[in-house]
Amino acid sequence: MIEVKDLVKAFDGREVLKKISMTFEEGKTNLIIGRSGSGKTVLLKNLVGLMRPTSGQILYDNRDLTQMSTDNMKSLRQEMGMIFQGSALFDAMTVFENVYFPLEMFSTLSKEEKEKRTQFCLDRVNLSDAGHLFPSEISGGMMKRAAIARAIALNPKYLFCDEPNSGLDPQTSLVIDKLIHEITKEYNITTIVNTHDMNSVMNIGEKIFFIKEGNLEWEGDSGSVLLSQNQALNDFVFASDLFKKVKEVEVEEMKENKTKP
Amino acid sequence: MTLTGSLDKLGQYILLMRKVITVPQKWGVFFRQLVKEINKLGVDSISIVIIISFFIGAVIVIQIALNISNPLLPRYTVGYTSREIILLEFSSTIMCLILAGKVGSNISSEIGTMRVTEQIDALEIMGVNSANYLILPKMVGLMVFVPVLVVLSMFFGIIGGFGVCYFTDAVPVADFAYGLQSFFNEFYIWYAIMKTIFFAFLISSVAAYYGYFAQGGSLDVGKASTNAVVVTSILILISDLIITDLMMG
Repeated sequence: MIEVKDLVKAFDGREVLKKISMTFEEGKTNLIIGRSGSGKTVLLKNLVGLMRPTSGQILYDNRDLTQMSTDNMKSLRQEMGMIFQGSALFDAMTVFENVYFPLEMFSTLSKEEKEKRTQFCLDRVNLSDAGHLFPSEISGGMMKRAAIARAIALNPKYLFCDEPNSGLDPQTSLVIDKLIHEITKEYNITTIVNTHDMNSVMNIGEKIFFIKEGNLEWEGDSGSVLLSQNQALNDFVFASDLFKKVKEVEVEEMKENKTKP
Repeated sequence: MTLTGSLDKLGQYILLMRKVITVPQKWGVFFRQLVKEINKLGVDSISIVIIISFFIGAVIVIQIALNISNPLLPRYTVGYTSREIILLEFSSTIMCLILAGKVGSNISSEIGTMRVTEQIDALEIMGVNSANYLILPKMVGLMVFVPVLVVLSMFFGIIGGFGVCYFTDAVPVADFAYGLQSFFNEFYIWYAIMKTIFFAFLISSVAAYYGYFAQGGSLDVGKASTNAVVVTSILILISDLIITDLMMG
């Protein structure tokens, strides 16, 4: 579980995150949504320690990231996995070497066990035969899957995904969403996904946080998103005609259910 | 660039070096990276060093022969002067300026690309000291291999000079060879090698600094790479002046 308490992040006196408090639950896919420039990425970077907050606390199972020594931060980071927007696979390494790398740096397993674990992770994301390929030789969807395999290599307790569906077609996006959701359940990980994708919100959003201009505007689950009366959330979620229709249908169905004896 | 801006950069560079010059997290990984970097930065530069040294050595001999053709000066002066120029400045300073362009831009653009594609962030998230993992093998690799390049440059510079003497009538070969052996001071070789090890440190660390703090996209990586080469070249020239004054003055 990750708790964020009164988190403030300011750049040159301008507050990008304004006293945000939220709790990301273990074994659940927690989604952070919001418009571009709302502070989602800054929040994620603060959560993983790539940025230092101006004030506030970030508690990883009661361990405060903001007060940690460099050594403690390093050991905490071995409990984290992250999937970057552009995958961030190491260009100079093959897919297999990318997944093997965190094991080589931090695992005490034998070489054979590390190789076995690497192959297991690649099998898990359906990349069994792509281990010998370089990132430049595979598709965007395969890159994302390789990034997931690398992120889970060390059995993380916390998984962070920064817009995992960006640049992917709708079908591949569904595959990636499903994979993230399954892995979260399988390993009981605290997963935090930063996304714009409304399909992800509907498919895997067990807990959703809507950020607007650095404030936590709304929180709930995928069911309550559709029925929320929050104007800012509605403007964001139902910006597309498709989701407007979905909402209309949902509301109609609810009315019908209410009128039924 | 303002004075405070320069001091900011100097401070940032020193802090980066503090992160770089630490014990590697895994020695096995470090040595593997070191071998790769020696191959990429050093061995791959051998051909360019040989070609440049051979031709510049030849040109130095022709120029000296033409410009000091005086009956009062002995003919071996050409060999002696050429050797001193090649040993003291060309194979050390000028070769390092050339390497600053080739190797410096390579280091800066590689690390800069890793920065803008979030590969460095990925290393940090894993708990890897990205500065140490990426930069230290490059610095050590270049500092270890540059003396080899310098000695090769000296050798092929002199071979180029011999070539001119052999194929033209600029200077008789025997006079050139006699000049090469005259008044030889072994310290000059050590001076050149020590100087280049310091230049190798400058080339790798300054280029890595510009790459590591690159921001934006591919254009910014290109800009960082250009800045790295310009700043390294200036620093090499300034430190050459200081080192020469300290060691030879």
